[in-house]
Amino acid sequence: MQAQNTLLNTEYSTDAQTEPIEHRFNPYQDNGGTILGIAGEDFAVLAGDTRQTVGYSIDSRYEPKVHDVGDNLLLSANGFSADGVQLVKVFQNQLKWYHFDNNKEMAVSSAARLIQHMLYRKRMFPYYVATILAGLDEEGKGAIYSFDPVGSYEREQCRAGGAAASLIMPFLDNQVNFKNQMDPESNGTKRRPLKYLSLEEVIQLVRDAFTSATERHIEVGDGLQILIVTKDGVRSEYFPLKKD
Amino acid sequence: MSQQDPSTINGGSAVAMVGKDCVAIASDLRLGQQSMGVSNDFEKIFHYGHVFLGLTGLGTDVLTVSENFRMKTNLYKMAEQREIEPESFANLVSTSLYEKRFGPWFVGPIVAGLNSISSKPFVCGFDYIGCIDYAKDFIVAGTASEQLFGMCESLYEPNLEPDDLFETISQALLNAVDRDALSGWGAVVYVITKDKVVKRYLKTRQD
Amino acid sequence: MEVVLGIRAKDGVILATSKAFTRGISVLKATDDKTRILNDYNILGFTGEGGDTTQFADYIQANIQLSTMREGTELNSKAIASYVRYELAKSLRTRKPFQVNVMLAGLDKREEPFLSLIDYLGTRVDLPYAAHGYAAFYTMSLLDRHYTPDISVEDGLKLLDMCEKELVKRFPMEFKGLLVKVVDKKGIRVVKGNE
Repeated sequence: MQAQNTLLNTEYSTDAQTEPIEHRFNPYQDNGGTILGIAGEDFAVLAGDTRQTVGYSIDSRYEPKVHDVGDNLLLSANGFSADGVQLVKVFQNQLKWYHFDNNKEMAVSSAARLIQHMLYRKRMFPYYVATILAGLDEEGKGAIYSFDPVGSYEREQCRAGGAAASLIMPFLDNQVNFKNQMDPESNGTKRRPLKYLSLEEVIQLVRDAFTSATERHIEVGDGLQILIVTKDGVRSEYFPLKKD
Repeated sequence: MSQQDPSTINGGSAVAMVGKDCVAIASDLRLGQQSMGVSNDFEKIFHYGHVFLGLTGLGTDVLTVSENFRMKTNLYKMAEQREIEPESFANLVSTSLYEKRFGPWFVGPIVAGLNSISSKPFVCGFDYIGCIDYAKDFIVAGTASEQLFGMCESLYEPNLEPDDLFETISQALLNAVDRDALSGWGAVVYVITKDKVVKRYLKTRQD
Repeated sequence: MEVVLGIRAKDGVILATSKAFTRGISVLKATDDKTRILNDYNILGFTGEGGDTTQFADYIQANIQLSTMREGTELNSKAIASYVRYELAKSLRTRKPFQVNVMLAGLDKREEPFLSLIDYLGTRVDLPYAAHGYAAFYTMSLLDRHYTPDISVEDGLKLLDMCEKELVKRFPMEFKGLLVKVVDKKGIRVVKGNE
């Protein structure tokens, strides 16, 4: 109203903006979704749902975000999907140059360090993603590396990332690392001893984790993509999730 | 620092589950001031006759609201010459919270109990202005509610016997609060059956 | 940046408050007493917004004494704690709430040592040892390490000395030492700080 009063009464005066316009461009978006990695004795799995969202809208029911990037490595960057895609692309490019320069496969530990540098070089304008890398280490044991958006990383037995990470992570603590479980014989004095889970057990855990997350989180669902890495290479499985 | 969310100043979580002819309700024992732990025996489960109420949220309101319900259920008992039933208590909670619609109590209540006539298990939860969430299976509340949703949704199965229900609700609570900095510091679990209530304190991580 | 510390021993309770009365950047007084005696066996320590604090503490003190006169019987510590919490919780949802944090120390029913921590929101916790504000960050670790439920008042005072030393060493503000009071079977007495 006030703005109009100060304008000359021309034929364009009614087109003038009366409310201030937001000039700031927000370069980020939340695309939801969740990923989950578990390491076994001689395998590792990286799983993610295939739903992609913006706010309450489902943009896609099948947009796979777990990638077989070569050299028996699995990579997924969950959060802002454009950044996730870019990170994986840049990584694959870097991996190609690594082959040219060194004429050998990249170890999972080296890949992890490389990703740290890729993330940290954008410290002031970060890739808005939770990243998980899966592979086999030098001894052939399953390895999961998880990263924060600016490259802080850690090797772990398992990790959930993304929208429903807070729902899945305590379940993993309990079922993979046997947290808060006791040896029933010991009358609460001894913890249940750790053991490696079989691939079948791990896949069942992943499916349970995602069906639970789908039930209680609106940004998770539609499909579950599980990539499994063993010494024989990468295998993929797909299971439908609820579409509501 | 000065602009703070009332529901996360003190921290704390609670959960309730339905079993076969039984219900269980549990909470952590922490009360903090932001990041600092102040008390490790702040119980968030109250009972009015055979009805159990879990109250998470702002510490002062947990105390005020629990005392208010003590008064209201005592008056109810005198008027009706019987203890209040879980279903009626849920409605009492709802109306009491909505009364303060524009200056609310910052609490996340959950109710659990067995109906004394039908022995039917009952659990429900509320938002802080009294909208009832009736549930067949479980109800969660507090700063670890997301973690509790994840745990309960994956561990819960219907028609558990009291002992198995105890194990399920305990594991759900324990592992959930261990992933929440504002919850933990001990836990308490009530398993309610027709002829007895068993209260157990759980040994938990202290960080 | 005021200090209020309390330790519940097996045979009594210790309440310590800082002696500095500060306004802005100046210390106006070095012999301040941030406690009120409510009755023979209960004292109230307080911190918070200047003005609110004494107004509130005096109000509580007067009402506790009024209650004793009317009823002809003393309120026990739990009842007092309940009442103080009620007043603060009631005040919280008014136009201008009291910004006062209190600590109640006493012998419940002239028998059981009792210590209650109540903040301006009305959050009440009964504790074996407690501190308000930033002092808690400096003293809780010492109290956690050295406190035992069967500690005597004598040893409690030694523990309090450790806390005061730590505060003098690490606390950035000058608080002019502690005024230490003890409540036990013999009643309320000042043990240190009123020289």
